Amino acid sequence: MSDNHQNPTAISRRALVAGLAAAPFAAQAAAPADGGGLGTAEAPISIRMAANDAFAKLWQTVLVPEFNKSFPNIKVTIDGQTYSEQLTKSLLDLTGATPTYDVICTDDPWTPQLAQTGALLDLKKDAAAWTDPGFDWADFNPAPLAASEWKGVQYGVPLRSNMLLMFYNRTHYKKAGLPEPTPKLTWAEFMAQAPKLVQDVKGEGKVNAWAIDTYFARDQLTPTIWQAILNAHGGKLLDDKGKAAFNTPVGVATLQIFVDLLKYAPPGAKAHVFNEELQAFRQGQLAAMFMWGSVFRGTAIDPATTTLKPDEVGVQVMPAGSAGPGTHRGIWSGVISKKTPHPRAAWALLQWMSSKEGERFASSQVGSFPARRSTLSNKPKDDWQIPVFATLQQSYDVAQKGQMWRPRLAKSDAVQQVLADEVARATSGEISPADALKNAAARIDKLRL
Amino acid sequence: MTPGPRRSRRMERLADTLSRWGFMAPAFLILAAVLAYPILYTLEISFSELDLGTFMPSEWVGWDNYETVLEDERFWHSMKVTGIYLAFAMPLQMVLGFAIAFLVNADWRGRGVIRALFLIPMVIAPVVAGGLWRMLLDPLWGISNWFLGLVGIGPLDWFGDSTLAMATIVLIDTWRWTPFVTLIATAGLLSLPRDVFEAAEIDGANWWVMLRHVTLPLLVPIMAAAFVVRWLGAVKMFDIVLASTLGGPGRATNVINLFIYQEAFRGLKFAESAAMSVVVLVITMALTAVFLRGSRLLEQRY
Repeated sequence: MSDNHQNPTAISRRALVAGLAAAPFAAQAAAPADGGGLGTAEAPISIRMAANDAFAKLWQTVLVPEFNKSFPNIKVTIDGQTYSEQLTKSLLDLTGATPTYDVICTDDPWTPQLAQTGALLDLKKDAAAWTDPGFDWADFNPAPLAASEWKGVQYGVPLRSNMLLMFYNRTHYKKAGLPEPTPKLTWAEFMAQAPKLVQDVKGEGKVNAWAIDTYFARDQLTPTIWQAILNAHGGKLLDDKGKAAFNTPVGVATLQIFVDLLKYAPPGAKAHVFNEELQAFRQGQLAAMFMWGSVFRGTAIDPATTTLKPDEVGVQVMPAGSAGPGTHRGIWSGVISKKTPHPRAAWALLQWMSSKEGERFASSQVGSFPARRSTLSNKPKDDWQIPVFATLQQSYDVAQKGQMWRPRLAKSDAVQQVLADEVARATSGEISPADALKNAAARIDKLRL
Repeated sequence: MTPGPRRSRRMERLADTLSRWGFMAPAFLILAAVLAYPILYTLEISFSELDLGTFMPSEWVGWDNYETVLEDERFWHSMKVTGIYLAFAMPLQMVLGFAIAFLVNADWRGRGVIRALFLIPMVIAPVVAGGLWRMLLDPLWGISNWFLGLVGIGPLDWFGDSTLAMATIVLIDTWRWTPFVTLIATAGLLSLPRDVFEAAEIDGANWWVMLRHVTLPLLVPIMAAAFVVRWLGAVKMFDIVLASTLGGPGRATNVINLFIYQEAFRGLKFAESAAMSVVVLVITMALTAVFLRGSRLLEQRY
């Protein structure tokens, strides 16, 4: 249900002022029928992209020069933005009279919120005339492609795919006398093994390694870990009517599993998010972590960022519940502003980045994970990518089967914030998992999704 | 008197008035743009439904947003958390700031270096300060627990324990803002009239008597001013919490500004968040008026 109460026939005072102010630029801003072309040596085209600051600079310095080998007359500028500001900035930019950005890199749950503004280009319809005949839509795995689809319209393409995976330290498992995890590992087995994985791995006579670490702090991504456990047990966040569907015995039991993980986590883990768990694992203080797959290279391969050796680190889908293994989708997709004067050039950039050629280049040069079946099934450039790509393909299939992603709603972030609040209260011991889910369900139902 | 000189004087006055307003106009315009407009826009949103598709107020809803906010237990909990933080941080920073100012003001070698070092926390960005302390206090890698371990204390879960997390926020904020109070107090101490102290010395007053009956009464206006300035900074507490605890564990450090930010930019409840901001603004202005009145009374008394 839409929460848009605006009278469609009424024009607000501010909209009128904004419209009048923008009028002199309207002709300049409107896209010509040919989509603004691809530029020429004499008249190159400049387009601007907003992306997360974690990878914007790398894309600018590595991907853009490669793109310019094929499209030398399209000058691309990629601006980095902090994650916490990105959604709001994107919304404000798209709804402005003269948007700054032609292309926006959007996180997994944001497409519905951005699409609701009516300011995104329908790639399969509006951009169909400029689509390369060789651009293979069917080659994308359905799970990552669906991240930028809303209400049957494809607004974007996957640029940087990610999945929540289980990383494990083989040395720790061996020292604890436990078998190496496999995708068949269940949550019950993992919880039974966890006490043995809290151990002294350095011979110091005291505990210096723990079983697990992940997001535990009051953060929007913390509930995704619990959601992966919930989904693995057949539970889901919302029903078809947008009502909370997690306040069930399965929901409570799985949140209890998540809270119980803290018993086997390092001291201070209640305040841990991405950086803390990653550093703990890379410094050999963890037997396992639930983390985004894209950190694999820096965790297992690059000696500048890890103390672990490549053969020490294993990666697989998260443990299984009654419905199978778990994971959670986190795809960065590229979308195009309808108001860009250069939609063709913007689409050329996105096509190249998400093409077979672009994916291969990005996965080998900047460590981005591909979304295409062909990229994942072909032999990758580096040997370390072979097991990682196999796990990634499995996680896409698992995510697609269990619909393991954040709510596909215009108010997705609001749902996520409610879950972050209440899950944090449960992990801190302030309230029980049952009360946390009861509160969360009541608050989510009030959001009128 | 002839009309000529009168007209000329009138023209002069007009030119004078115009030039004064001409010089002030840019400042007025900038103030209106950066101060008045956001406040008025916030007020407008707080009485409306905000359309997220256009970011425009779409429907006048009267006091609905205010009713929702005032009935929200989470809003009052965040106000309580903010109150706890202020109740501990403000007195601590005032006492420490003035105590350090007395020490720094005494005549000893190296005090210039100490004064300069005291300024460092103030110039560090709050987000960096939060991150820095997060590293120092981390139970796994932080140096603080290692030191405490040497004397048999700990390990302490600075950010994971609800009570300790609030104490940690107060500690970081005190580290960051005590130098500011010290700076104001030092300036105040240096501006005190020397003849009063010389007279007290001739009368045989010792160090304690001079502090109790001369220095402190003379410093009361400075203390009151420092308190009000620091209060106005402290009620805005946001960035250190964002960088260190994210409002947790649970909601132990979820101060009101972080709560409003999360409701607005995460929950996308901009209208209700605007109503919250207005409520907080009104409460802050009322308390500030009380403090200013109190400081005036203290000034009159001393």
